[in-house]
Amino acid sequence: MDLSIVSFVQIIVSVLLVIALMVANAVVMVYIERKMAGFIQRRPGPYEVGPYGTIQAVCDSMKLLAKQVFVPGNVDWLLYFLAPVTAFLPVLLLYLPIPFGPYLTAMNVDDGILLILAFAGLGVVSNLLAGWASNNKYGVLGAARAVSQSVAYEIPMIMALLSVVFLTGSLNLTEIVDSQGSWPWQWNIFAQPFAFFIYLVSLIGETNRAPFDLPEAESELTAGFHTEYSGMGFALFFLSEYANMLLVSFVCATFFLGGWKGPFLDGFWWTFIKAYAIMVFMVWIRWTFPRVRFDQLLNINWKWLLPLSILNLWLTAAILKILSKIY
Amino acid sequence: MNASNFINPFSIREDEGSFAGDFYTRNFERQARKDSIILNLGPQHPSTHGVLRVLVELDGEYVLRAEPVLGYLHRMHDKMGEVKTPYQYLPNMGRVDYLHPIAWNWAFVGAVERLASIEPPKRAEYLRIISCELNRISSHLLWWGAFVLDLGGVTPILYAFEEREMINDILQIITGSRLTMSYFRFGGVCADCDSRFIKLTKDFIPYLRERLKIYKALVTDNIILRRRLEGVGPMDTDICLRYGATGPVLRASGLSSDTRRNIPYSLYDNFEFAIPAGPSNDCFGRYLIRLFEIETSLQIIEQAIESLPDGPILIDKAPKANYKLPAGESYFAVEGARGQIGVHLVSDGGKNPYRVKLRSPGFSNLSLFAEAAKGTLLADAIAILGSLDLVIPEVDR
Amino acid sequence: MIRAVWDNIKGLYSLIVGLSITARFLFSPQKTVHYPRKVVDPESLSSFRGPLELTPAADNSAQSRCISCQACVRACPGHCLTVVKGQGKAPIVWTYNFTLCCLCAACVESCPTGALRFSHKVYMVASSRQEMVLDLLSDLEKNAAVAND
Repeated sequence: MDLSIVSFVQIIVSVLLVIALMVANAVVMVYIERKMAGFIQRRPGPYEVGPYGTIQAVCDSMKLLAKQVFVPGNVDWLLYFLAPVTAFLPVLLLYLPIPFGPYLTAMNVDDGILLILAFAGLGVVSNLLAGWASNNKYGVLGAARAVSQSVAYEIPMIMALLSVVFLTGSLNLTEIVDSQGSWPWQWNIFAQPFAFFIYLVSLIGETNRAPFDLPEAESELTAGFHTEYSGMGFALFFLSEYANMLLVSFVCATFFLGGWKGPFLDGFWWTFIKAYAIMVFMVWIRWTFPRVRFDQLLNINWKWLLPLSILNLWLTAAILKILSKIY
Repeated sequence: MNASNFINPFSIREDEGSFAGDFYTRNFERQARKDSIILNLGPQHPSTHGVLRVLVELDGEYVLRAEPVLGYLHRMHDKMGEVKTPYQYLPNMGRVDYLHPIAWNWAFVGAVERLASIEPPKRAEYLRIISCELNRISSHLLWWGAFVLDLGGVTPILYAFEEREMINDILQIITGSRLTMSYFRFGGVCADCDSRFIKLTKDFIPYLRERLKIYKALVTDNIILRRRLEGVGPMDTDICLRYGATGPVLRASGLSSDTRRNIPYSLYDNFEFAIPAGPSNDCFGRYLIRLFEIETSLQIIEQAIESLPDGPILIDKAPKANYKLPAGESYFAVEGARGQIGVHLVSDGGKNPYRVKLRSPGFSNLSLFAEAAKGTLLADAIAILGSLDLVIPEVDR
Repeated sequence: MIRAVWDNIKGLYSLIVGLSITARFLFSPQKTVHYPRKVVDPESLSSFRGPLELTPAADNSAQSRCISCQACVRACPGHCLTVVKGQGKAPIVWTYNFTLCCLCAACVESCPTGALRFSHKVYMVASSRQEMVLDLLSDLEKNAAVAND
């Protein structure tokens, strides 16, 4: 790729657009989450600010921005301020290879999924830094949980995605979407139902959402690694959490649900509809189930998801090999 | 490196000579291992329900030792009994345990009645039973929601509050208040029930039974909850008896012990209800026992509301503010939602009682925690704490 | 091994049951009584213990039945009442500190003339402690004036 002025401008513009998407997503998701939690619990949710409480999330973010930057005593200053930034920055890169629509890709790279998986692993560093630097025992416990959880759940996640890559024969996200058809039965979810299930479970584990929200389990560790953060630092963690959620949903939509392709009219709207449907599912799960215990969380991963995903990968490879011999 | 220069950021036990931390922390750390974390759960911690403080020594996620520290909500209810006349002391009873105030009302009123040989009329006894059992259900419902909240499920507590609000509406008709009820009087109760109360109560019983089925499907049968609770924090009968635990905690351990049956008071002998002894002595057993007790209370209410007799609700010349207790002492125990509630009353014949001793079940139940939490995971310790159904105002009094 | 797999499959089914229940509640009507727009049924407040008020006398609704006997003041466990006797039996000062009141009905039950009762004010708010110290005599006159209009 030649770094001409055009591609440079393209990248700058797309990064700005991604930031806009992240912020807009956080605002929308906070509203959806609070409304859905409210309706599930048979109460109205945010209601007072704006029509049907639509401006509530905007006001909340304004409040977070305007808050005093409070630093507790004896923190590691550099790491304390670095942690929210390291949570936020890698997510920016992760959106670049995502194909939102047929021609709507910020950076059409051949190893798109590798880029995403590599930088997604960086998110846990920020949790570790935040927990360690804030000089808080809850923070350290939360950080330790975050690291082992995220390391564990990345493996079945990769395995599940890899079986789709076997099917398609490409690491390029655009080509993966191209290999699927417009109608639901042409999507990869029917070719790889187990991989989809494994991905769905490890997606919740990877984004630290309930029932796998162990690093920030409020009834055990108050708020886990971000106990000591308030104001802008907390807002950045919040933003990156929702951005991560959206990202894994986009990847899920791309890999298993046909990306921008959908019945009647292909286009970027299908990507968004599918991604937000997965997000709503995650919200629904969060407000239904109690939290698992930490050893159970790791047991689910190492004893069930990992063997299942390896089996699935092996079966996929075997069947593909047999099929290629026949035809 | 000189050992004294190394400062473990998670320990203040290096500077033992100084006065870092309070008395409990320093004392606790003195016996701690050098490589463990001392964690202060509370007094402002989301899962300690109020202001309980628990010192835990952690090895990673494992709890090596735990020690509850009490007294953050001590309001001197025992002492207040000595400076007020018995009648003036009555509203205090609603505030000792805000989740089951009627039982505390009953314990104190019962002690005074026993000392003064007052016999309340029959209708008053029925109203006492109905209101006490309704209140027990509301207490158990709130516990159920809060317990699942401890385990990370946020939604059930709001469903539980729907029924709790209905019970509060019903109890408000007779008691006039929704939380800190002061309903009982020496020799009866303060207000009679009307037809609306009876209708709402009768409607409520089948409604709650339907809802309990939903709760079973949503929470009790949920695999995550079962795996969280089954086999966690076993407490056998022996240790329960040694620490004086009562109520659902003791019953879950396998001993069918209930004050309503063992030391019958009021008209509980006239009603048919089962005292369940738990299928298992772990957190899940305690959970099931409490859900079953809701059903038991519903049965009692059903029988009582059917056979509610007519008559006065208060004896003539019921003791008022200027009433002087006869000299002597009495003890009265009732079964609260958390266990046996007892009031020991000593009077020297003066205006105020000489001594009022309140026996709160939560205090004894909490003392089991230190033993049960040893060697469990932190999340399990939270589950055990929740399964004891602690109300901190009642523990500290 | 097979048993463990079977248990887990049953467990997954229990999760689906849970999801279906919350989905049903998601589309069921809300239970909230949204205060400024809706209020609770006034019938359900008929026995609610709000802040105290004086019962008007039978012949004059601006007049209290109080005979300043101080029985309520002595009975009150929170010392929240102040009654000052004027010339004759009628009180000239009748203040009630709601911040100290525990709504126990000791005063209401000890009153020989039935001059006190609980109001059903649920929505009472105040922005300072001073506003919570109520002058019940003037409240009684205000109520009477409202009733007469």
